[in-house]
Amino acid sequence: MSAITDAPRQRQGWQPDFWSLVAFAAWAILILLLLMPLSLVLVSSFRDEIGGLSLANWQRLFTSTRYFNAFVNTLVVGFGGLAGALLLGSVMAFCMARLQIAGGRFVSMLAILALVSPPFIGAYSWIVLFGSGGIVRQTLMSWGIFMPPIYGVWGILIVFAFKFYPYVYLLTSGALANINRSLEEAAENLGLTPFQRVMKVSFPLVLPALSAGGLLALIHAIADFGTPRLLGRGYNVLATEAYTAYSAEIGSNLGMATTLSLALILLSMVFVFIQRFMSRRNVYHSNLINRPEKVRLRGFANVAAHAAVYFIALGGAMPAIVAAIYSVRKTNGPVFQPGFGLESYSRIIATLGDVVRNSLVFSGMAVLLIVVVGTLIGCLVARRNTVQTSLLDATLMVPYVMPGIVVGVAFIAAFNTPPLVMTGTATIIILSVFIRRLPYAVRSSAAALRQVGPSMEEAAISLGYSPVQAFLRVTIPLIAPGIIAGAMLSFVTAINELSSSLVLYVGGTVTMPVKIYIAINDGDYGTAASLSTILLILSGAAIYLAFRLLGRDERALL
Amino acid sequence: MAYLQVDGAIKRYGATTALNGVSFTVGTGEFFTLLGPSGCGKTTLLRSIAGFSQLSEGRIDLDGVDLLAVPPHRRDIGMVFQDYAIFPHLTVAENVAFGLKARKVPAYAIRERVAEALTTVRLTALAERLPAALSGGQQQRIGIARAMVVKPRLLLMDEPLSNLDAKLRLDLRDEIRDIQRTIGIAAIYVTHDQEEALAISDRICVMDGGRIEQIGTPQQIYGEPATRFVASFVGTMNLLPPSAFGLPSSGGVAHWAVRPERLRLAETDTPPQFSVSLTGAVEHFTYLGREAHLTVSAQGQRLVAQIAAPPSDLSIEAGREIKLAFDLRDLHGFDAEGRRVTIAPAA
Repeated sequence: MSAITDAPRQRQGWQPDFWSLVAFAAWAILILLLLMPLSLVLVSSFRDEIGGLSLANWQRLFTSTRYFNAFVNTLVVGFGGLAGALLLGSVMAFCMARLQIAGGRFVSMLAILALVSPPFIGAYSWIVLFGSGGIVRQTLMSWGIFMPPIYGVWGILIVFAFKFYPYVYLLTSGALANINRSLEEAAENLGLTPFQRVMKVSFPLVLPALSAGGLLALIHAIADFGTPRLLGRGYNVLATEAYTAYSAEIGSNLGMATTLSLALILLSMVFVFIQRFMSRRNVYHSNLINRPEKVRLRGFANVAAHAAVYFIALGGAMPAIVAAIYSVRKTNGPVFQPGFGLESYSRIIATLGDVVRNSLVFSGMAVLLIVVVGTLIGCLVARRNTVQTSLLDATLMVPYVMPGIVVGVAFIAAFNTPPLVMTGTATIIILSVFIRRLPYAVRSSAAALRQVGPSMEEAAISLGYSPVQAFLRVTIPLIAPGIIAGAMLSFVTAINELSSSLVLYVGGTVTMPVKIYIAINDGDYGTAASLSTILLILSGAAIYLAFRLLGRDERALL
Repeated sequence: MAYLQVDGAIKRYGATTALNGVSFTVGTGEFFTLLGPSGCGKTTLLRSIAGFSQLSEGRIDLDGVDLLAVPPHRRDIGMVFQDYAIFPHLTVAENVAFGLKARKVPAYAIRERVAEALTTVRLTALAERLPAALSGGQQQRIGIARAMVVKPRLLLMDEPLSNLDAKLRLDLRDEIRDIQRTIGIAAIYVTHDQEEALAISDRICVMDGGRIEQIGTPQQIYGEPATRFVASFVGTMNLLPPSAFGLPSSGGVAHWAVRPERLRLAETDTPPQFSVSLTGAVEHFTYLGREAHLTVSAQGQRLVAQIAAPPSDLSIEAGREIKLAFDLRDLHGFDAEGRRVTIAPAA
């Protein structure tokens, strides 16, 4: 019998008072920032314009052609994005995990770049290259090759495929690299053809990772607001309609916005459950005595594999690269001039200092909150296995499926009227980022804690340290690298957060992503590009730090 | 003299009972081993003494003081863990010093005692290293030094050798015993390895299903097993039905048992008085160097015989007829409940 199997440790050490207090505070936070705004969203979706109880909004969702179309369009971009991400992601994963690809580290860096590209700038860069006046399109047209502009549903799908393939790629390549080669050899040895082997052994083994990556792509695709907004040209989805219903100058309709938001959440939840159901049995742990080897291809196959990998990787990272190049183009006001210059950056320093500062301060505050609260709740969830903590853990799943637009609308619904008025403050933006990212921090600190194992703390206690001292002197130092790395990754999401801030910002609380959105809408591309580049550099620095602490593991970014 | 006294310990996890009324005492300076298969409750018992698991019922007294009223970190009981539980963020010396710092021992004394402890476990050269790069055996030596250096009132060891390879296990086993004797500390050692238990202990407590089967010296446990379970768990036993080979019928005996090493080849040895002899066919012959094992099928019974120091030309092919003999005094009798039946000498 091992030391660990010996389950319950009720009085094992935690000072009951302190941890009960943590549980209490956790529930208070979740009720105030999550459950209450959500239920207000729910209630407000059942109200008509004059405040009476009605099903009018839901009726409109299903009867009005406009909303029905948005619903169908959401499914189209969701599954289209999923299909594209699965295709690009699995090709990339296979090539990177099983073939020798020159410059592999550079390729995975490009994948990270695609993952952390600031929102909006992606869609914008695609317009720069392939829009009606796009450089590539114009060049091709001048050679007499017709190319349709990228707008509309196909444009959205292409952008989604390149934007979301890293989710599939990072998870699946990990799984592929971890299949014990003996399993495939055993299948071969038992007389399966290579094709049968792939279908009957390799594919089932990577299916959980593939479906998890696909789910992330799907959920992000249906929640994505920026891409359909910029590229759709009338192709509206639930996220854009929710924003329109909320932000319309005349006839702003919070009830309709909340109804659309709920439809979006429900859709996401359905997919989460389908994915859970699909991979319910499929958790495989194989010992890695016999790692798969990377095959070196020759001749045409080798060229084709490299071409595919670099096409996908450069396509995904293209928006970030275009933004970086455009940020150093010479500008005169919002208009690009030939040649290069740093006008865009000097304009940011001169006039947009407060925007940069806002971003840094808001993200910093949010990350601080996330780390402290997330670590405490993570410890609670990992070490106290009760109905109450399981419920806490389950409730923390909710923000996973809440699109940013929905969080924004819910916060407006909850904090626009007394007793708690926060709209227009920095606090509301910080809290919205905090609640969205909190589940990730809880998960990662709980995981780090489970790795440490209880015997470390027990050893300290047996040597005479009180449980709290043992926690502070042994557990905290051991999970600190994980916590700091998690904080860095939270910082990346926090500083790039757009969709909820877009609903919540006022003149004084504009952040960099919001400013990028405004700048693109105003045609001030130089500013947008240079702000994006600054965001990329900050994100890159945070990721570098996280990898230094945690070991290089791209999957931590998901 | 009872130094540690466990009285009526019961531990329930929901519907299952991990400890079902366990009582024993450990004397000052005694090396006491809890031996049993996994799930027998030995680890639960150890963790209850350490304070990491709460008894549902029962009492534990250490040196006359009720231990259950004392929080784990004030019990002053050293513990060595199966997975070593060496702090990876501290150097070897800092690991050993960890408990001394909690006791507010002055710095110069810490240095002295750490150096002394590291010498005892032969790790002086590695004092400033981080433990991650050390082998399992070295890590467990740190664990032992760390637990011993604070001079606890009692030392608990939870299968400390089970993650080490065979050779190292033997070496460290002897080291543990030596260190424990030198310091003169009472120790409770948990293991599922019967050979380890026999080798290291002053007394052994064999447990099964949350109950104590037998407490005794290694000689008593091996030589006079109190139950059929102990007889088969500690070492190997040939179990025979009461009437096999014309064995004498004795009141209440449901099973006879005889150790493999008590069986001899009747051809080579002169059968002593009171001997039973039988003829059977060899099923397997396994040569192991210092001994050889014979599996023999005789009158529908399968017996294992162990031949010590087999001559190198000894080779017995399967199917060969062979004659075995054993002394009646080497027979153990167990009743239908598996309890030992005392047999009148010279039946």
